[in-house]
Amino acid sequence: MTGEFNILLAGVGGQGVILMSELLGRAAIADGLRVRGSEVLGMAVRGGSVTSIIRIGDDVHGPLIPRGKCHVLVALEPSEALRDIGYLSKSGLAIVNTTPVVPFTVSLGQRDYPDLARIVETLDSVVSKVITLDAARMAREAGSLLAANIVMLGALFGVELLPIKMATMKQTIEARFPPKVATVNVRAFDLGYQACRQSLQ
Amino acid sequence: MRELTIGSDAPGQRLFALGNEAIARGAIEAGVQVAAAYPGTPSSEILGTLAGVARDFGMYVEWSTNEKVAFEVALGASMCGVRAMASMKHVGVNVAHDPLMTASHIGAVGGLLLVVADDPWAWSSQNEQDSRYIALQAYIPVLEPSSVQEAKDMTADAFRLSEEFGQLFMLRSVTRIGHGRGDIVLGEISRERRQGSFRKDLDRFAYVPRGARMNKPLMLERFERIRKAADTLAYNRLQMVDGAKLGIIACGLSYSYTLEALNWLGLEDRVSILKVGTPHPLPEKLIIRLLNSVEEILVVEELDPFVELHVKAMVGGRNMTVKVHGKDVVPRIGELSTGKVGQAVAGLTGCSLPVDFTGLDRLEQDVAEMLPLRPPALCPGCSHRASFRAITAAAQRVAREYGEGVEPIYPGDIGCYTLALNPPQYAVDTCICMGGGFGLANGMAHVVEAPIIAHLGDSTFFHSGIPPLINAVYNKANVTMIVLDNSATAMTGFQPHPGTGQTAMGEEATVVKAEDIARACGVQFVEVVDPFDLKTATKTIEMAIRFQGPAVVVCRGPCATIELREKRQAGEKILPFYIDRDKCSPKCDACIRLLGCPAIIRQGDGTVIDASLCTGCSLCAQICPHKAILQEQTR
Repeated sequence: MTGEFNILLAGVGGQGVILMSELLGRAAIADGLRVRGSEVLGMAVRGGSVTSIIRIGDDVHGPLIPRGKCHVLVALEPSEALRDIGYLSKSGLAIVNTTPVVPFTVSLGQRDYPDLARIVETLDSVVSKVITLDAARMAREAGSLLAANIVMLGALFGVELLPIKMATMKQTIEARFPPKVATVNVRAFDLGYQACRQSLQ
Repeated sequence: MRELTIGSDAPGQRLFALGNEAIARGAIEAGVQVAAAYPGTPSSEILGTLAGVARDFGMYVEWSTNEKVAFEVALGASMCGVRAMASMKHVGVNVAHDPLMTASHIGAVGGLLLVVADDPWAWSSQNEQDSRYIALQAYIPVLEPSSVQEAKDMTADAFRLSEEFGQLFMLRSVTRIGHGRGDIVLGEISRERRQGSFRKDLDRFAYVPRGARMNKPLMLERFERIRKAADTLAYNRLQMVDGAKLGIIACGLSYSYTLEALNWLGLEDRVSILKVGTPHPLPEKLIIRLLNSVEEILVVEELDPFVELHVKAMVGGRNMTVKVHGKDVVPRIGELSTGKVGQAVAGLTGCSLPVDFTGLDRLEQDVAEMLPLRPPALCPGCSHRASFRAITAAAQRVAREYGEGVEPIYPGDIGCYTLALNPPQYAVDTCICMGGGFGLANGMAHVVEAPIIAHLGDSTFFHSGIPPLINAVYNKANVTMIVLDNSATAMTGFQPHPGTGQTAMGEEATVVKAEDIARACGVQFVEVVDPFDLKTATKTIEMAIRFQGPAVVVCRGPCATIELREKRQAGEKILPFYIDRDKCSPKCDACIRLLGCPAIIRQGDGTVIDASLCTGCSLCAQICPHKAILQEQTR
């Protein structure tokens, strides 16, 4: 694939951001695509912000998305959608899970948590389209609260812009988990995919 | 088909790998027989990966007690003729510096590689330092990869080079290589396994003054041969463009950013590029060819102007007129990026970038103001939170007796517990280096009148806490030294250490206990407490602070993350706590104010415990003045 396709995954430690990038990377390779990325690890299990980058295409060399060149942002937590706003492209999309994870600094009274409408409005002023969905609800529907990240992965494919084939992505999910978990995850993936399609229609 | 893994014997196949896994793969392909490391972000996954496959490849892998020992383990194995590697983060090299300086005089018998992970922007470090200067000082040749693939290739090749030239090599990784990801093409795995044998050679291995004088010329000769070979190594590549006025010398990962920046600016056909994979020694002939062909040079490298200074010296020494740019237009602080390189090139060529960076800066600034801070925090159920509650309560009580306004001093250290420098703990006053808290406490004890309570983790204690402990005994420093023992090197990924009774390769080992060491060192007050028995822990620590002379308290409580994982695997129920609204006093806030537990959150006017995060540690229930926090009886 010529050119580049840049995906930014954002969330909070423990939400499964790194797993999403692993799955995307494996699927990209299975489809014969060139893939690069990076993340800052180390703080991930201690509730800090986590971002992971996946870049696909022959023109990709570096591990970081150049500012202003992110095609799709997937945020597993609403306020985390804003943290790397400078990377988003005007023609890009943002997919946001609406369930907040309120940091303890808010309880300590250091800052307020911004309301969802304001987050969406801010993103909307930068990208071409913001898609919001309740990944926690869909994960529960699929059979496990832990599958919210896979719901978001499904939603990422719902934008139908990815160079990775959807069938390859599902095969990668199926190969990565034991059968029971894989079934839940594929269901979660489909729910996220459909929700995103509906939101775009 | 079997799933492809980092140990697969599948030359030519592509695998999606973390950079540190790719480095480990390179070591596997080279037939490395001994690998040692001390954990440190962003280097830990190298040894972690090797530990997982060591048995399959007849490799010996260990977590050493510190980086100096790790390097000595590798050096000792190399002396016996086998291929060996030590990996560490940049500041770990400071710890290993002593043997490193002499190791370069010895050279390599079996191929010897030091993998160093630099951390531009200090994402998880106490400083950003450029390890290439240490290599320069020690005459160690450096390989610096531009991608995850090259990190693997260079690692595999480094052992061949090390044996060909008889010299120790360094691989300089950076955060975005080690924690970068990419598709790598697997190579052949060497199955050669050598029987180690030590051939006595005092002239080469035993450094009395004569050894230094005899071996320095040999080291310089080796280095000279490597310098001459640098121009022919494939890692250095000159891509000349006819008529180019600007030449770019791009070192390591900067090469990737440079390619993207030139593409972004549409300048691929107008700029000559020298990709540098060996910043030390540099490919001088290639550099001179480039210098002779252009009017201006831009050196792009992360952190210090290492290549830049050498290039400037070359230009100056030859009275050339070509103008050399580097850190005048490329940041010296932090990581580089396509944007930063693009801005530098745009500035020199008069092109403009298609992105309004000033606008993006403004947007990011506006948004940052509305975002809640989300720093990493001690986990719910973390035993350090309990320890710090006991430490600060005891210390404040004693400090009051020293006089009005006297505050306890907390020399801190490096690990998860460094997070206690944040509110509400405020229990870390200094953080310098591994074991540094105990060392600083020794100095403070002789000059201030205040309780001094130094603390460090169990792994850090074994790493470098013992000499300053002995120092306190010997030199009569009146300090309290606390070992926050959660039986893990938790911050870097739960690696085992001498206190855990397990080796890197999963074998059982003798458990070394901090309290036994303290007693053996002559400390007269040594106690072990369970930090979740808050009352007893506080009382014991208070006694330790009042004790005249060095006192040691070991706060032993398991790492909550490990304990939770084990409980879940065993199917054990976790009974969370909840807040009884009728008993809770809305203005009290003691649980939030004193503990800062991520599981305790404000909801409307009240305070609630998030049952999905609560580990049932009971700390909040113990400190609640209204006895309003209770444990659920069923789940």
